[in-house]
Amino acid sequence: MKKLIMKKPTMKKPKRLLPPMAIYGLFALAVVMLFSSSIGGARAALTYYSETYSSRVQMYSIGVSLLENGNPVSWRNYDSAGNGKWDEETGELLTGLLSDGESLTPGKTYREELCVENTGSINQYVRVRIYKYWVDSVDGKDDKSSERLRTLSPDMIDLHLVNLGTDWIEDTQASTEERTVLYYNKVLPAEAGEASRTPLFADQLTIDGELAKKVSQTESANGKYTTITTTYLYNGVKFVVKAEVDAVQEHNAEDAILSAWGRKVSVDGGTLRLVD
Amino acid sequence: MMKKIRYAIAALAVAAIMTAGLGQAWAYFTTYAAAEGGYTINLGDRTEITEGFSDWTKRVTVTNEAGAAPVYVRVKAFGPSTCPLTYTGSGWTAGEDGYYYYGTPVPGGGNTEVLNIVINNIPTKEDGLEVGDQFNVIVIYESTPVLYDEGGNPLPADWNATLDVVTGTEVVGTPETESGEEGGGAS
Repeated sequence: MKKLIMKKPTMKKPKRLLPPMAIYGLFALAVVMLFSSSIGGARAALTYYSETYSSRVQMYSIGVSLLENGNPVSWRNYDSAGNGKWDEETGELLTGLLSDGESLTPGKTYREELCVENTGSINQYVRVRIYKYWVDSVDGKDDKSSERLRTLSPDMIDLHLVNLGTDWIEDTQASTEERTVLYYNKVLPAEAGEASRTPLFADQLTIDGELAKKVSQTESANGKYTTITTTYLYNGVKFVVKAEVDAVQEHNAEDAILSAWGRKVSVDGGTLRLVD
Repeated sequence: MMKKIRYAIAALAVAAIMTAGLGQAWAYFTTYAAAEGGYTINLGDRTEITEGFSDWTKRVTVTNEAGAAPVYVRVKAFGPSTCPLTYTGSGWTAGEDGYYYYGTPVPGGGNTEVLNIVINNIPTKEDGLEVGDQFNVIVIYESTPVLYDEGGNPLPADWNATLDVVTGTEVVGTPETESGEEGGGAS
């Protein structure tokens, strides 16, 4: 006799796709990634929108000085205590160019030796931005609010650059007729005496004598007289040379330069190269 | 349930630690310094000719305005072909082109020595000259700014230099150089 066995119907338990530990792990990873992405956005905002804020937060014991004929003209050295304070001086270039009572002579070459010194406590990479332009000058007075004269050529202001290719690289992509951008292609060590100074990037300044040939002319007749008046386009205008020095930490230099200066570079064995 | 809460707290702690580390890695040390300077260019020169006339001699002096840049000067006179002109004057030398050149730059506020231009063979009544007849002796002069070499030494005057006359540009500065003509007569 057959025994009828009735099976009791049971509910099927669904299969787990992942073990519980894996789910917790994925959740934790998601949280980490979420935090990471938000921090990245904050960094970009700081770098782009607020130099002052990023300076106060990021600066520590870095320092740089612009030297003219061996003497510091301008500098900004951060306090090594990390308290956000710094020692700063913004001087004036070319003050020693002429002796008392001497007026500037177009065509004459003047000594103008410019270089950079690491005056901080960490190694750094540096770049220099040089600007040359003309401004209107009323009675020769120094007025920094004077309007730039864009019809006059910056080429007439010949700041003779030196050590190009060997120590300094020109960023031709960023340079214009009015601006020249130079990168020092080595690490500039801190607290190393003379080695903390770069080789010169400029050594002489000449205002091209050819500017005396740039004129406009008017004729006027007055009875028996005919007067031709020649007006020099460069008479009574002031030339300006400006140098801006930037420095950035040696550590993680490629990312630091890209973040701070927006320039892609490669650093290999302490040698900096521009990446196109 | 408690176990799940513990996992969540642990995950949050790990995340907090990692994000703190990321923040440090993105803080870069940077600094900068800047300086500027410049001078006003003074090319201005305004020259003026002064003439005196007596004894059939013109006495010419060229003056450069005070405060102006140094200039070179040259002078030439034209008269009737029947009345040849002779020139004398300290510091003046004859050029092959008929001009008389003043040898040294005339500084701002300075002037040339006198150049005497003597009119010869003055016509008379016997030559048919009548009252009211006249002839002219015209003196012209030119000046050019002194240019300098790299050492700041004056270069010789380049009278053949071509000026680059710019048109359609706003004129900046003040008038300086003049080329003048002055006529003188005798009857």
